[in-house]
Amino acid sequence: MSRLQIQPDGGALMLSGAIDETAGLLDLLTRAQGGRLVLDLAGVTFINSLGVRDWIRMQAAATQQKIQIELRHVAEVIIHQLNMIIATRGTARVTSFFAPYACDRCGREESLLIDAVANAAMLAKLTPPAMTCPECSGPMAFNDFPERYFSFLMPTG
Amino acid sequence: MREQSILIVHPDRKTQRVVQRILGVTGYRVDIADDLEQGIRLMQHHAPLLVVVDGSAAMSPHADAFFSEAQARGTEACMTLLSQDAAEHVPKILTLGAVTNLLVHAMPVLAEELTITAHKLIHRDLFGADKYLLWGTELHTHLVTRSSQRSHLVSSIADAVRARGQSARVASMAQLVADELVSNAVHNAPIDSAGGHFRKDLARDTDIELDERHAVRLRWGCDARYLAIEVTDQFGSLDRDTILSSLAKSDVRDSGGGAGMGIALSYRSCDHLVFNLAPGKRTEIIALIDVRYPPSERAPVSSYNVFVERSP
Repeated sequence: MSRLQIQPDGGALMLSGAIDETAGLLDLLTRAQGGRLVLDLAGVTFINSLGVRDWIRMQAAATQQKIQIELRHVAEVIIHQLNMIIATRGTARVTSFFAPYACDRCGREESLLIDAVANAAMLAKLTPPAMTCPECSGPMAFNDFPERYFSFLMPTG
Repeated sequence: MREQSILIVHPDRKTQRVVQRILGVTGYRVDIADDLEQGIRLMQHHAPLLVVVDGSAAMSPHADAFFSEAQARGTEACMTLLSQDAAEHVPKILTLGAVTNLLVHAMPVLAEELTITAHKLIHRDLFGADKYLLWGTELHTHLVTRSSQRSHLVSSIADAVRARGQSARVASMAQLVADELVSNAVHNAPIDSAGGHFRKDLARDTDIELDERHAVRLRWGCDARYLAIEVTDQFGSLDRDTILSSLAKSDVRDSGGGAGMGIALSYRSCDHLVFNLAPGKRTEIIALIDVRYPPSERAPVSSYNVFVERSP
């Protein structure tokens, strides 16, 4: 399992590999610019309970330090944690994320990127955006329960 | 001597008959009640080995009295059947603290799960993931003898699962569950002579050599229905109440060490979690991931079983 790699990319930090006991996420906050931290999570392949704990601490510290975190290209493994564990959401804003789709025609399963800003109105109604199969060009169906998978976008009570 | 009986409490006649037919093959007497009050009365005549109740019974004002009576009568397992659209009952069921088995399934699948549970109890043979897999399924065995092996091991399992044609989602779930269960067995299971969990606060990235007593066994296999991951420690320190309170956590928070967070995450990351406990001897946890269905057809909540080995 590859340790977490962090690479700057424009104004964002690209995270790839595993978020576990070795991740040291709190250090990321020192790289915020103008009270803002942009994390690109497309390359994150794994997060365990110790990584989740570290993530929650980072979110809490960011809120305390008034650092606004933007999460983009959020991998499915992170979305599952955001949905299961409310504390992982903190005050971060998700601008795009990956979601599971399956093609009814050819059976291909794919993790596809959803723009959470452009599709905000649809997502608020738990309607997944339409997608086309990259293999057969057929329509792809959302491959999870929208009310479960999109719950991280809903306000917490 | 214990009456060899099983008690079914369910308001639906058709379900009563289906469950009676499934459990009747055990050869045990099967008693049927329409509600918990009737079930309590029946228990006063026959002390059942196993009680099977409808999930909505958890909402009944008689639930506490029923489960207390079952406990007092020495019932070994209280199983709740829950249809997939009744997931809202799960938090209440878990907080009862008495439901040792929860099966969330459609009826055609229920038969094998019910039968396995009943046979495990009747034959006093609790251990082994092979009971949940089809005959002939190979279980791959790994012995963890250093804590630093965990990361590579769980990653290699995920790769192997992918190489056998399973989806990235299944591989990801397998990796997470294996990681949590091995981590739990290495750090939370060991206890000293005073019962203290001496390793639970040790940093997880500290490399520890695990001798014969502390080594952790992991087995996994897939029969194209379930991917099973079985992790065993040789301390047997995990108890039923800790398990049920961990499963009951509706939100996992930054609450420090202990087995709770890993168990809660494992439960939410598989379809069925089985705990086989031999107090003071060993703990075996089996996670079953149903590989037949896409996420859109998965049950919204997972099943669980807690079995405790009886004294001979």
